[in-house]
Amino acid sequence: MNGWILAATVALGGGGAAALWGVTTGPPARRVIAQNLTTSAFCPALLLLAQGYGRPAYVDLALLLALLGPVGTLVFARLLSDDLSAQDASAWGLTWTAAVLGAAAVVALCVAVGPGRAMVKLLVIGVLLIGGNVIASRALAGGFRGVRGG
Amino acid sequence: MNRLRLWLLAVGGAGLAALLVAACLDLPGFGGRHHPYGDRAVQASLARHTANTISSVNFDQRAYDTLGEMSILFAAVLGCVVLLRQARDEHRAPPEPAEVARPVRRYALLVLPVALVTGLYVVAHGQLSPGGGFQGGVVAATALHLLYLGADYGALERVRPLGVYETSDAVAVCAYLVLGLASVLAGTAFLANTLLPYGTFNTLSSGGAVPLLNAAVGMEVASAVVVLLAHFLDQAVEIEEEHGS
Amino acid sequence: MADALIVVVLLLVAASATAAVAQRDPARQALVLSFLGTLLAALFTVLQAPDVGLSQLAVGSALTPLLIMLCVRKIRRRGRSKEDAR
Repeated sequence: MNGWILAATVALGGGGAAALWGVTTGPPARRVIAQNLTTSAFCPALLLLAQGYGRPAYVDLALLLALLGPVGTLVFARLLSDDLSAQDASAWGLTWTAAVLGAAAVVALCVAVGPGRAMVKLLVIGVLLIGGNVIASRALAGGFRGVRGG
Repeated sequence: MNRLRLWLLAVGGAGLAALLVAACLDLPGFGGRHHPYGDRAVQASLARHTANTISSVNFDQRAYDTLGEMSILFAAVLGCVVLLRQARDEHRAPPEPAEVARPVRRYALLVLPVALVTGLYVVAHGQLSPGGGFQGGVVAATALHLLYLGADYGALERVRPLGVYETSDAVAVCAYLVLGLASVLAGTAFLANTLLPYGTFNTLSSGGAVPLLNAAVGMEVASAVVVLLAHFLDQAVEIEEEHGS
Repeated sequence: MADALIVVVLLLVAASATAAVAQRDPARQALVLSFLGTLLAALFTVLQAPDVGLSQLAVGSALTPLLIMLCVRKIRRRGRSKEDAR
């Protein structure tokens, strides 16, 4: 049980509980924001677990989540646009907080891993995660307003 | 007749229950560090220079089971294609082109090639790191549908000629079978991994036939998922019933 | 002490699975199922099964929600067109 696993436990437990509460209660706007939060909470947790267990192969899981998590949020943003048109789901404070925490985790891991191919992979995952998080939030906050039935 | 059928079911069920109880009493103890099958599987995987033992079990030691799983996916997609085809009292009404916010459109167009390449990377490294044909195939197919999510259905239809994907699905299943039959023609068992050299441990060229079977399964899963989603999308977005039916 | 992580994730899985069953509307259920899928992938990673976790992520993060939401859209469209034709 080292520091990395402890940090991963905090990320999984705290982020997971907050996302679960958001996804099960409230108006559709809050639910899709919580679904978006899932990706940005769990992807750094997977990176921390990869470092904590000493298994660099687990980083592939974080890469896939950074790529496909925002795609899942875009699915809901597009196909629930009727429900969301009444009330835009914008939570920019939460988005930027999650982005900053994710960036902090990636930087800490890059320092621990040292220069090389593994660091480049971590930086790519960090860029995909933060970019995807911001774009998914933009999509939820009215990105599909003009789409009718498509 | 109904009572006879129920009695037959009861007899079969009782036999199955007896066999299951006998098998459960013979299992190794729960929760220890020592598992006889695990030790043998890892030894066999290392002897064949496959770094990822799961891939070795899936595509080498129990490759026949993977053939069954691939056929299950093929049959399920075939069933969906039959169920979701356009009926006689339905017509196609393409929706109007959609205006999606520009950041979202640009993100979708940028990430689509990245996700596609990641899917192919996961398929190619199946024998080295967690992943393989199934996982990479699903990622590649999902990457293609970013075009629907970021633009609209017309854009996706332009890059997705459905006949090509249906053909490649069938071709991939046949490729898996042909790879298995190649071993039979060489004199060993079906899907035995003894034809190709085992290569250098922990590099891309290792594991014998495992990378080839990975590629076949990856192509099959990607095409099957694209065809499946195509029919769901057609029904949800384009096909409408005739009024008055 | 590494067991604490497994216990935390297992409790979350139990809670979210119960929440998924307790939802009534399919669209809301799809949202909870998307969360549950990602959480299950984390559980499989914590139990040292990354291959299964990768399969779960690939399927449950984008594919399953897309299938469910397309079905919901089809049903809503049919309901709406029947009301228009009346």
